[in-house]
Amino acid sequence: MKIEAIKRAEAIDVSILIGGKAGDGVLFTGNILARLLKRYGWWAVTYRDFPSNIRGEGTQYVIRASLEPIENCREGVDIFLAFDCEAIKKHAPRLNKGALLLCDGADAAILPTSVSSEVVAIAFPLRQPAKEKFGKELYKNMMAIGALSYLLGLEVNPLEDIVRELFFEKKGEAVVETNLKAVYLGYELGQKLIPKNKRWFLPRFTDNRRMILMGDEAVALGALAAGCRFFAAYPICPASEIWQWLAPRIKDFGGVVVQVEDELAALNMAIGAAYAGARAMTATSGPGASLMMEAFSLAGMIETPVVIAHVQRVGPSTGLPTKTQQGDLLQWIFGAHGEFPRIVLAPGSIEECFTFTVSAFNLAEKLQGPVVILLDLDLGQNLRTTHFPLAQDWIIDRGKLLSADEVAKNKEYKRYLITEDGISPRTFPGISGGIHLVESVEHGENGLRSEDPEIRKKMMEKRMRKLLSIAPNLIPPIIFGPPEAEIAVIGVGSTKGPILEALKFLREEGIQAKFFQVRTLWPFPTREVSEFLQGTRQLVIVENNYTGQLLTLLQSQVCFSPNLKVEGLRKYLPDNFTPEEIYRGLKQLCQ
Amino acid sequence: MPIKSDLAKRNKDLFSRQPPTWCPGCGLYGILEALKRAAVSLELEPAEIVVVTGIGCHGRFPNYFLSYGFHGLHGRVVPVASGIKMVNPKLKVIGISGDGDAYSIGLNHLLHAARRNSNILIIVPNNRVFALTQGQASPTSPRGFVSISTPFGTVETPLDGLKLALGAGATFIARGFSGEVDHLVSLFKAGLSHSGFALIDVLSPCITYNKINTYDWYKKRIEILPSTEEVANDKEQAWRWLNREDRFVLGILYMEVRDSFEQLILSDSKRAIAHLELHPEKEKVFRLMEKFI
Repeated sequence: MKIEAIKRAEAIDVSILIGGKAGDGVLFTGNILARLLKRYGWWAVTYRDFPSNIRGEGTQYVIRASLEPIENCREGVDIFLAFDCEAIKKHAPRLNKGALLLCDGADAAILPTSVSSEVVAIAFPLRQPAKEKFGKELYKNMMAIGALSYLLGLEVNPLEDIVRELFFEKKGEAVVETNLKAVYLGYELGQKLIPKNKRWFLPRFTDNRRMILMGDEAVALGALAAGCRFFAAYPICPASEIWQWLAPRIKDFGGVVVQVEDELAALNMAIGAAYAGARAMTATSGPGASLMMEAFSLAGMIETPVVIAHVQRVGPSTGLPTKTQQGDLLQWIFGAHGEFPRIVLAPGSIEECFTFTVSAFNLAEKLQGPVVILLDLDLGQNLRTTHFPLAQDWIIDRGKLLSADEVAKNKEYKRYLITEDGISPRTFPGISGGIHLVESVEHGENGLRSEDPEIRKKMMEKRMRKLLSIAPNLIPPIIFGPPEAEIAVIGVGSTKGPILEALKFLREEGIQAKFFQVRTLWPFPTREVSEFLQGTRQLVIVENNYTGQLLTLLQSQVCFSPNLKVEGLRKYLPDNFTPEEIYRGLKQLCQ
Repeated sequence: MPIKSDLAKRNKDLFSRQPPTWCPGCGLYGILEALKRAAVSLELEPAEIVVVTGIGCHGRFPNYFLSYGFHGLHGRVVPVASGIKMVNPKLKVIGISGDGDAYSIGLNHLLHAARRNSNILIIVPNNRVFALTQGQASPTSPRGFVSISTPFGTVETPLDGLKLALGAGATFIARGFSGEVDHLVSLFKAGLSHSGFALIDVLSPCITYNKINTYDWYKKRIEILPSTEEVANDKEQAWRWLNREDRFVLGILYMEVRDSFEQLILSDSKRAIAHLELHPEKEKVFRLMEKFI
């Protein structure tokens, strides 16, 4: 919070903003810096804000590093590296007192008047020397990293390793050398131009084997760990990273990734593969999700396990494809025609992206139906530091699956056998004795279509009963903070980090608050929420959308006490909450 | 592989599930009969066949044809069939998709499966009308077709799925006629034996909603190519046959040997992904995680 009060040598938290235009290499520069800070033993997280454009429009990338585990960036910025002066106008108000601004450009450092006089701004040429020394402006990015290393007091060795890892295999030693030269040139420029009293000296700690990755990658890792061997998808931001990471790696596990013609094909193909016996998955975002709804309903009706990862972006329609939002919270719960059992899981951290994906496959096969992993762009595409490994242990549970021998013993195999728990033993095509029909039309136990009202009733009850049967296996919510706290907060997904940090700010002021992280969004944890709210007088639902979808869901599933004051803290700007915003919001709402 | 059934019982009843309830005289009877005979002739077992159908009268096919069956959504036969084949290439995957299903709502998938050369057989019972929804015009309805949805007759040009498939890179295209069951058996056998994407368009009268394209109407207009065995890999010849205005040319119109999608994309096209034993494979997963350190 009050970074200016902390002596720089003892800094425990630093935020760096890199601003420029799409095509400037802001993302590349930021990624390397985040990795460097992580290797330094700090917890690094990033926030990317990009236009849906390859070149030209403004982009920003924030890297925050802390000695304590963190999940999100903050509002304030301590160091701002601007590749152009336009970025300054936009982001200068975020500069903390005592912050340093480096600007590459001739008319650099003309600060808007709103910026504190305690900000030091200097011209820091990057493009020009990059062009002169290396013949390409591109090298300004490595120079920037060199300059920032000097500014932060980082040793260059870990950086050398990173550059080597990035370039050596693909481009060879010569490219590594040139890039390193650019790093050193930036470092030297830093020595010359950066005021000594503005330098930071971040101490180096043992890395403790931590990882830095994005949620999409953690989902992909989770899919491999869970035995996902078939993945079909259509390109869409911000979900493509999931299968693009898997594509070159799944072969080592005997699996395949297929890029298909559209999202209709993606989910139908995954359902076909799952029906035939593979653990199958697809990934998409809002527009693709809308196209998948019909097949989602199909999976529910024919009782085929399939996993769908949905990384939310701003809608409606094409919306803002590269910005984050939680506007599709209800899409998979109430979307699609007809009623059928479905599960929606919502991870709130990198680790949860991994473990929930593993759970999603187990739940899908136990339920014999569709399971959705719902992320948002902030969680899916931003880098976060987390412990290695993402989980020590996990299992593969294929539910009621018959072996070929068991099928052979069956006198007459019935795919939709009515059972007490609603779950019918499953088998796959190719197995003698297991011949059956999966039927999207209402059907009897043997899969043959039927319009008999009694059969309809029984089959409907059988399918819906499955959800109750697997309830004990669902991922329970987590409650943070003391049960007796005056303020209760409920949130889901990527707001977890900023909510927890806002609660910390409140605690520092002596205000107690508790937080209920919804982790299984559907079936909704009604009992747990009711227990959480007992004795609570103030409830704030924090969510990244306009209409209050999480609140709507709560209202439909939980009976609020008349004494409970319920408020919504919502944001539908195209970025995630900062902890400061939630802190201010909670203070205002709970006065 | 499934256990081979008793040879003495190897007749088409091996593939009978239930008696069909299509309208008497429906072209689908001929297709059902031909597919059963082709399966018997190729010594296939019901357990190694999967029939995928869409929505329409054809959708009931797996109710009558005994094998593994998947009655899915309208227009999504092809992706489901491709998904099944990719994870278990040992299966014979047959998609049956009507003219509305394959050429209207599901056309995109058909062309992409042709382009990929997915190793599946797609049979299109082409009755040139939406029958199950009570007689609307379909993309293959002849121009001027009067129906409940087109009271003044269609003004659109009918499309030919085989021409599109040829253009999209299909490696096997053929046309048959429900009234020529013996010929249809030979086409289905060839289609089932083909390695790659096979599309068979079957002219299939709808006796209830299409009073124009009847058995008699077709009988006067079909011309059966002499042999289904020697087929030239000749696109220009295929194009000429497809463009004949006076006749429907029946037979295998084009065939080409090309690696199937499964051969190209799977690390081992003989092993079924569907039957892999799944383990957490911690060591391998941890090694991948280490890359993020």
